[in-house]
Amino acid sequence: MATIDIDAPGTSQLFIGNEAIARGALEAGIGFAASYPGTPSSEIMGSLAPIAKKMGIYAEWSINEKVAMEAAAGASFAGIRALASMKQNGVNVVSDFLANLVIAGIGKGGLVLISCDDPSAISSSNEQDTRPIAKWLDIPLVEPGTFQEAKDMTKWLFDLAEKTGTLCMLRSVTRIAHARGNVKLGELPKKEQKAYFDQIHDLRNVMPTTFMPVPSALRHAFLHLKLDKAQEKFESSPFNYYVGPDKADLLIITCGSCWLYSQDAVKALKLEDKVGILKLGTLWPLPEKFVEKHLNKSRKILFVEEIDPFLERSVMEMVANLPADSPRPTFYGKRSKHINAYGELNPDLVIKAIASITSITYQPRDVEYGKKAEEFSKSSVPERSMTFCAGCPHRATFWAIKNALKLDGRDGIVTGDIGCYSLALGPAGFFQVRTMHCMGAGAGIANGLGKLGQFGFNQPVLAVCGDSTFFHATIPALINGIYNQSNFILVILDNNATAMTGFQPHPGTGMTAMGEPTKVVSMEALCRSLGARVEICDPFDLESTTATLLEMMAEGGGAKVAIMRRECELVRGKKEKPPYKVHVDPDKCIGEACGCDRLCTRVFLCPGLVWDKKVGKSKIDEVICTGCGVCTDICPQGAIIKEAA
Amino acid sequence: MDTKVKGCKELLNEVIDKDLCTLCGACTGGCPYLVPYKGKIVLLDNCTLSEGQCYKYCPRTYTDMDAISQQVFGVPYSEDELGTTKEVLIARSTDAQIKEKAQYGGTVTTLLSLALAEGLIDNAILTRTSEDKTPIAFLAQSAEEVLQGAGSNYMACPILETYNHFLKDSNHSLGIVAMPCQALALTKMKKEPPENRISINNVKLVIGLFCTWALSPDGFYQFLRENLDLPRVTKFDIPPPPANRFDAYTPSGKISFPLEQIRKFTIPTCAYCLDMTSEFADISVGSVEGIEGWNTVIIRTDVGAKLMEMAKAKGKLETDKLPPQNLAHLKEAALLKKKRALKEIIKRSGDKKNLLYVGLSPALADKLLA
Repeated sequence: MATIDIDAPGTSQLFIGNEAIARGALEAGIGFAASYPGTPSSEIMGSLAPIAKKMGIYAEWSINEKVAMEAAAGASFAGIRALASMKQNGVNVVSDFLANLVIAGIGKGGLVLISCDDPSAISSSNEQDTRPIAKWLDIPLVEPGTFQEAKDMTKWLFDLAEKTGTLCMLRSVTRIAHARGNVKLGELPKKEQKAYFDQIHDLRNVMPTTFMPVPSALRHAFLHLKLDKAQEKFESSPFNYYVGPDKADLLIITCGSCWLYSQDAVKALKLEDKVGILKLGTLWPLPEKFVEKHLNKSRKILFVEEIDPFLERSVMEMVANLPADSPRPTFYGKRSKHINAYGELNPDLVIKAIASITSITYQPRDVEYGKKAEEFSKSSVPERSMTFCAGCPHRATFWAIKNALKLDGRDGIVTGDIGCYSLALGPAGFFQVRTMHCMGAGAGIANGLGKLGQFGFNQPVLAVCGDSTFFHATIPALINGIYNQSNFILVILDNNATAMTGFQPHPGTGMTAMGEPTKVVSMEALCRSLGARVEICDPFDLESTTATLLEMMAEGGGAKVAIMRRECELVRGKKEKPPYKVHVDPDKCIGEACGCDRLCTRVFLCPGLVWDKKVGKSKIDEVICTGCGVCTDICPQGAIIKEAA
Repeated sequence: MDTKVKGCKELLNEVIDKDLCTLCGACTGGCPYLVPYKGKIVLLDNCTLSEGQCYKYCPRTYTDMDAISQQVFGVPYSEDELGTTKEVLIARSTDAQIKEKAQYGGTVTTLLSLALAEGLIDNAILTRTSEDKTPIAFLAQSAEEVLQGAGSNYMACPILETYNHFLKDSNHSLGIVAMPCQALALTKMKKEPPENRISINNVKLVIGLFCTWALSPDGFYQFLRENLDLPRVTKFDIPPPPANRFDAYTPSGKISFPLEQIRKFTIPTCAYCLDMTSEFADISVGSVEGIEGWNTVIIRTDVGAKLMEMAKAKGKLETDKLPPQNLAHLKEAALLKKKRALKEIIKRSGDKKNLLYVGLSPALADKLLA
């Protein structure tokens, strides 16, 4: 892993985009960084936190993105450059604060929001473009198209934020955030920083008068002036440029990773002298003069961008405002359906769009070759479905939930949330989870379901959430359930880590982002203080966990809490040896016969168990098995045997 | 009449969801999918087998009565109201402790204790009333443990789950106290021995109980909870006719409910049951009308006869003749149950030829329906 704090200006380092962003922040002299983990943004804080102490900055994993952004704003108000990073969903969480922050303005320290979008929702509950949020909330927006730009733009954005007095935003996408490329380093600032909240002068942006508060509408007017200033800077930004012939058959307007796909596509089609590319780095406000200057390069314009038609609409708006006798090019993009308004793009999709517009046929390779290559690659990839890790406590929890709901017999519902346990929508969690929206929504939805008794609703409701999700956004929903006496059980899957995003610490772990021990926020003490009945279960004890859930469902009444406490196997496994050595006794295993029908490898589905088709027995995959021993309790024949390791 | 063996989905569709389940437990305990819970058999996961032992041994799936009778008695299904019998008599325990706890004469407790003591069996599967007064199946290995099972609470209990829980390589010898439906299921197992669980040959003794109907461990238990201070109840009793009541004994006295009030908690399937005297047991035991403190005993097999002989020889039981008028009454009641059940079955199937699960010879069916 690259060290982002290397003090070697002028040398090149191989950085993933997120490291480049973190390095840019270091070069900008940030003093404060806050974040909540979320793919593909996590490595920004992941690379800042370990070196924060050494670099004399403060870095934290906040309990959610809103608090992260607010905390960073606090630092800005006291004159410290501050950064908040998050994935696309985080920007939604912060949006209320942002809408107020932009009207108020930032402090003396530059304040930057990094939003990492996840086109195709590879690691997300939703696919969403956060660029329109910047436009909606009047936030100057940039997007890097290379790893170098990721660093340079971040650094530059702090200057811009301070010069304009407003929050600035950088949007990145998975293929920038997680891909790796060369980044030429700049200087690391050496000066000491001093924080002081000068309540008169430093608030010139927050309240541009020392005498009386300024009405919001007037401050909104100031915000537009700030945007004008940003637009002016954008007009001459080196992050916007044109590559291609003076007169082109087709002009591509693009940004971000699509800049890379566009170059590849043009090159593959050998159209470098016919197709020009206008690469934009500063997206909002649109540098209209700069764009206008290049509009006459071609009569045909193709917008290549991921998810929303953001540039497409901005440029169309701009063209609509040009003088009547200006040239009217034909636009291609999402509106014309040449580019998808969903999912990631890639060079192939861009090639298809260009080929279709320019009426050329492109066959990258022999069709037969393609088929053969596909078959070959399939044959060497083992068949796997999305599942929980071997030894994952969630599998045991959902086993207990499944059995408890079946035994209860009232068609109970599990509302889900965001985390590894979202996999319980599928076979990994026995299809138990029925809803998945944003963080905290599982408990929120349960609040509504749990109040439908007067309409004859009798289905038990379980809301599952992870430990980090509990702190992030579930507490208000729980309080609401207790206050309004909604009938649901909040099942907290406490595996002592923000596991899905890489085991980041949270308030329940007793550790900070910077590796300092800290107070443990006890979720059971918190829930009990709210007046909730709290039960703590070990999910590996399937029988008692099932019995506890059954009893809690039968009891009914207002919101209550069941904490499933078992450390994430990937965390435990790094510290300790497996507790058991597990094997299958082939004489006892009855496989597909009546009395089992392959429960372990057909239903339970731990990847540590494999079905040996040849002999018709299950066996343990010793490489994958983590020795948790849970499967010994589900085998109806006592054929899976665990021995203390 | 569908005589085919099917899988658990059909068991659910044809028996469990159709209110025909007797809660005998024969379909549970042998696999991870079907489990009993609060008076219901629940399917936890989908089993893909098209033929299952769950369906095969269910006392409410098709049963060839002649074939299973042939299996245990060596003769076709008897036309006698009481099934195949060797001897009908009355008996009671000589043990004061047993008599005190027993429902009537303590014969079942005495016979089981003897079977354990003599090594005929090493484990007895029976029901006891748990602390919260729900019925619970348990394993007894000694006379003291058997005594915990003395007395009845009249609620169905899936004790065959406990039999099915014994793994296939187990060499325990078992005695089972069975309701008529459970004795029927065990006999189906004897006819076609189950796989992947303890051998049915290890069941050395089946003591059957007389049964007119059983109460739902869900609905009836709720009723008891609402109407009694359950922890204080020491004994339940339905005295023989014409008492027509259900009694609960507490330290401060007896609380009685008219039988009509509790009859609505009868498991629906009991209406379709032809067997009052556990016709497929080795030995069947019930109360005696008008003779308090004694049991009616029907000896059916050599195993039953031998055990009874031993009990007499060792002075564990005293016996007497069943008065002829009592025997006549018993037969009348048993016949009435058969006739009533057949009528209900035909009402349900809508076809005189379709007796659902009951595979009777046409001649006997006609005779019973006459």
